[in-house]
Amino acid sequence: MWRWLVRYWSQLAAYCGAVSIAPAELSRTEIAEDTSLDSPWITLVWNDPVNLMSYVTYVFQTYFGYPREKAEKLMLDVHQKGRAVVSNGPRETMERDTEALQGYGLWATFQKDE
Amino acid sequence: MAKAFKRKGDRFVARLDDVEREVVVGLLQQTQDFLEPAHREPTGDPFDDLVATLGVRPLGDPALTPQAPFDPALERLLPTANREDPALAAEFRRLTEHGLRERKTANLATAIEVLLAADGDKVTLDQAQAQAMVVALTDVRLLLGERLGLQTDDDADALQDRLEAASEDDPQLYLAAYYDFMTWLQESLTQALMS
Repeated sequence: MWRWLVRYWSQLAAYCGAVSIAPAELSRTEIAEDTSLDSPWITLVWNDPVNLMSYVTYVFQTYFGYPREKAEKLMLDVHQKGRAVVSNGPRETMERDTEALQGYGLWATFQKDE
Repeated sequence: MAKAFKRKGDRFVARLDDVEREVVVGLLQQTQDFLEPAHREPTGDPFDDLVATLGVRPLGDPALTPQAPFDPALERLLPTANREDPALAAEFRRLTEHGLRERKTANLATAIEVLLAADGDKVTLDQAQAQAMVVALTDVRLLLGERLGLQTDDDADALQDRLEAASEDDPQLYLAAYYDFMTWLQESLTQALMS
């Protein structure tokens, strides 16, 4: 019940966009997530032992048009942390990204951002 | 003796001898057989048949039921797209699987075609063929990797030791050697595409 209430308040505060009535810790989270309020879905790429580091970078550059540096950073996140958020936006766009990345053979999934 | 892919102007050139090309084509064909969309017999239901021609699985397709035989390699080549919501994942699969299979099969067909058209040992690709080839090699490696039981990065590292040990008793020694060769080929083509 408390969890629900805190969640509700923090969401309400985020939607109002202005004064936060949530505890300090939560409002920091909300600020961090503020940019994704309109785009609460994400595409993830998961680490796998087969895909080459160079190829994963190549796909991020080719499909998203990310510059080499950003593509390499994302690739390293996938490799070292096990997964990385590679895009965010409306659900339809995330489904399209997931389909395209799976087409390239990457281990891509989409989900609601939390 | 094979020579890796290199960019030459707007072309990508490698040298592969008869045996090497035969091996690569064989692996591409096996992957193609594995991924080819199933031909659906007309069901007699005009709506379902129409939906099938659009490449979307009809609701209630037996392939979606849990009793359907399940190959783990398929989960790697066409992974479950949502880990939190099985209904969304099933819907995604229903809408995308046929198209993904078609595109992957077409890439593999392009790769096979250019290898069969090689001028002697010289394999020359244009940009579009190189892009199809690098994706086709990925799908071959994903399938081989699954058959070799590669689940973690450590498994992939251990493969090298396995190759060096080259034990005659290892029934998967050929698979491991093919995987290693495909990795080398794909790495060179990726580097060439990025250069």
